[in-house]
Amino acid sequence: MIILDRKGFDEIEQMVKGCGRLLVLGCDTCSAMCFTGGQRQVEELASPIRMKRKMSGDAGEVVEDTVARQCELEFIAPIEDTVTGCDAVLSLACGAGVQTLAKAFPDIRILPALNTKFIGRTVERGVWKEMCRACGDCILGRTAGICPVTRCAKGLLNGACGGASEGKCEVSKDRPCAWQEIYHAMKRLDLLHYLKEKPQVKSWPIHPARVVREDLRKGLAT
Amino acid sequence: MDSTMHTKLPPCKSACPILTNVQEYVQLIAERRFPEAFATIRSLNPLPSVCGRICTHPCETACKRGQIDEPIAIAALKRFAGDGPWAARYTVGVPRQSTGHKIAVVGSGPAGLSAAHDLALLGHYVTIFEALPVLGGMLRVGVPAYRLPKDVLDEEVQAILALGVETKTGIQIGKDVKLPELFEQGYEALFVAIGAHEDRKLGIAGEDELEGIVSAVSFLNAVNQCRDLQVGNTVAVIGGGNTAIDSARSLVRLGAESVHVVYRRSMEEMPAAREEVEEAIHEGVQVAFLTSPVEILGKGGKVSSLKCMKNELGEPDAGGRRSPMPVPGSEFAIDVDMVVAAIGQTPHSSLLARDIGFTEKGKVIHLTDVETLATTRSGIFAGGDAVTGPATVIKAIAAGKRAAVCIDAYLNGESPPSIVASEAAPTEKLPQNVVERTKNFLRHEAISFPIGDRVKSFDEVKSVLTEDLAVGEALRCLHCTLGATVDTEKCISCLNCVQACPVGAPATTKMGEITIDRFSCQACGVCVLECPVQAIDIALQPRADVKGQVREALRSGDNSVIIGFFDYHGNFGPNHMELLKDDYPAIVPIMVHGLRRIDTSDVLKAFELGADAVILAGCRPEADPYPAARKNVGGRMADARTVLDVLGLDGRRLMVVDMPEQGLIEAEQVQALMGLVSELGPNPLR
Repeated sequence: MIILDRKGFDEIEQMVKGCGRLLVLGCDTCSAMCFTGGQRQVEELASPIRMKRKMSGDAGEVVEDTVARQCELEFIAPIEDTVTGCDAVLSLACGAGVQTLAKAFPDIRILPALNTKFIGRTVERGVWKEMCRACGDCILGRTAGICPVTRCAKGLLNGACGGASEGKCEVSKDRPCAWQEIYHAMKRLDLLHYLKEKPQVKSWPIHPARVVREDLRKGLAT
Repeated sequence: MDSTMHTKLPPCKSACPILTNVQEYVQLIAERRFPEAFATIRSLNPLPSVCGRICTHPCETACKRGQIDEPIAIAALKRFAGDGPWAARYTVGVPRQSTGHKIAVVGSGPAGLSAAHDLALLGHYVTIFEALPVLGGMLRVGVPAYRLPKDVLDEEVQAILALGVETKTGIQIGKDVKLPELFEQGYEALFVAIGAHEDRKLGIAGEDELEGIVSAVSFLNAVNQCRDLQVGNTVAVIGGGNTAIDSARSLVRLGAESVHVVYRRSMEEMPAAREEVEEAIHEGVQVAFLTSPVEILGKGGKVSSLKCMKNELGEPDAGGRRSPMPVPGSEFAIDVDMVVAAIGQTPHSSLLARDIGFTEKGKVIHLTDVETLATTRSGIFAGGDAVTGPATVIKAIAAGKRAAVCIDAYLNGESPPSIVASEAAPTEKLPQNVVERTKNFLRHEAISFPIGDRVKSFDEVKSVLTEDLAVGEALRCLHCTLGATVDTEKCISCLNCVQACPVGAPATTKMGEITIDRFSCQACGVCVLECPVQAIDIALQPRADVKGQVREALRSGDNSVIIGFFDYHGNFGPNHMELLKDDYPAIVPIMVHGLRRIDTSDVLKAFELGADAVILAGCRPEADPYPAARKNVGGRMADARTVLDVLGLDGRRLMVVDMPEQGLIEAEQVQALMGLVSELGPNPLR
């Protein structure tokens, strides 16, 4: 899933200052799972904003709501009246959600309350790890399910760089060398011969990337 | 939402023949709301203090805590609730407007008294006929005073009579007045609850010829009515029920030097309550298990010894108990000068046999319909030991209450509502991971008086629990059925609850749906705040309760208010609460089941609504049932402090402390906070 993190309250406070009636809007999918965008976090953020406004004499009501996914127009549609009744929306969603809102409501200021970090997984309560850089051309089948694009500091595709020491990356001692892990995993799977082959030429995406499925577009899929 | 969730009863309640709201009153005691706890008990049970002492407490057998360490001492808590000064202030309720119907209750034992109580409340005119000169049936003449003091019984009987119940003692129905004659006297329905007061015969040689052989019922009857009683030096009590143990312990108190209980099976099969047997052994009673009497021998017309045989246990009988099989050649004799026969009782069937039907086997009153308690004759209902044979006080109370419902329906020409829960479902088995992950807390026991003092008198042998012990005991409750439920409409299957639960109650289905096992959940509340989308709520102190109390406390918004969240698991009494109110009127206490229920948003909301400060006072780690969740509290409050600092409100206005060994909070801590508040000035948001 998409992993997000909270912005500092100072930064948020600066953003929302003087922007009138404000909707603090949660997103109940990836963001909620990261403890950044559920109804609970909406409450936790709206409350201090209200306090700050009251103390600094900044007018404007702060209202709260949450949708299932801010990145889908269908889920945004039901709150259209709420949004258009506000001067600004503080979005607790990823960049896709914020931009979807901005596209759907071009006359309303849409502000991000979060930083979208990466595609990753929950390691334990409060710890998330990047697993995928969305490079657009997956090679995990040749690297024993360990992504060198994401987990090698240099993003190398053809093996360890030589800078690793005792299995750790030269960038940080806390960081395992992805290629050493790949080597051991491939050995375990008796697939070391794969590593002798030429690295696959990757097709790097041109941003903003776009996926077009002709079968689905033309309704030809069964 | 799982629809069975709210219909399932907690095991303690479903195990009780009268479906006492056990969990509710245990909870009220934990929350130090003692008068309400008593009201909960008394609203269903007209004999609460009796049950607090002698109930066989099937609720404790069913208790989930019993699978972890030891069950909640429910009976002791009931006694505590019934013995407190608040019990005397309870008003029983006002009988409904008189219906004009007259009902006769035959027998004043627990079944008769309960029926009379409920019928009187329904507005009927009730007369109790009692053969003995005293009221209470077996409670009066069977149970010895060291288990049930007479004044305790008197008070509860008086409260029932105060509802306008008339009594006629010394009238034996069937002899002085025939049963059908009661109809002629204007009674429209009769409830026969004559108990089982006739001892079964031993059926062995020597029983009818020798002097020194008594039946347990007549013996206990004499003991309880303080008749002058000569007991032997060495006495054998034959039988393994509570009557046998009551007889044996009474004999010890009356000066018998050596008392032997002779029982044909082993401890395992003994029908007497285990704790009664253990107490008897403590008091010096010797129990000969796997021993059957064969013959009573005498000298000069008096008992001199009891010839016995050892048994082995054979195959289980129809009732599931293993049958004793005599071991050939194992005969031996115990020298005794008195024998008490306590091998079971039957009702006095001879007096009523011509008027209503009795069963062939067991010689108990035959019910033509067990649902309505109808006998072979219209208008006559029966219940209690007279129908079941010797059973428990709570079963008799249940029968009396059922009789009241059935008789009321009969008088109105209706059929009674069907029985809600006839047989208790066996308690589910807790998964092993839950057992292992649940923190153990030892049971709080009342003081038992020293053996040396006990055996000299018929004074009660156990004290009532103190307030502290009762609260501590009630706090051990694991809150069956009050746990967390997932709103599947809101749930996003984020798995936070699965990772956070201290006991492993939530599980996922293959399709990613989260379910929280109703029986494993202990209502700790951890998952409720771990759920980012607020899809989980809890029956024990729901979120709305905490939020509502915060809003209520700050509603006026004029005075300086400090919100104080205090943990029920702290060690404090009602006096500490009074002191807090007197000394620090600004502090508005909100009681919570663990600080783990307080969310960052609750604290921020308190400040938003104008609180000058917020105190979170949690119990000490050793008293905390979920110590691992304490760091969640620390993390949340650190977060809240950061926000308060950024806002310029000062994070120090939020104080998190452990409660002292005794009391709600240390005075220095409050004073330091008060000092800070006066230094910083009032919350600018007020």
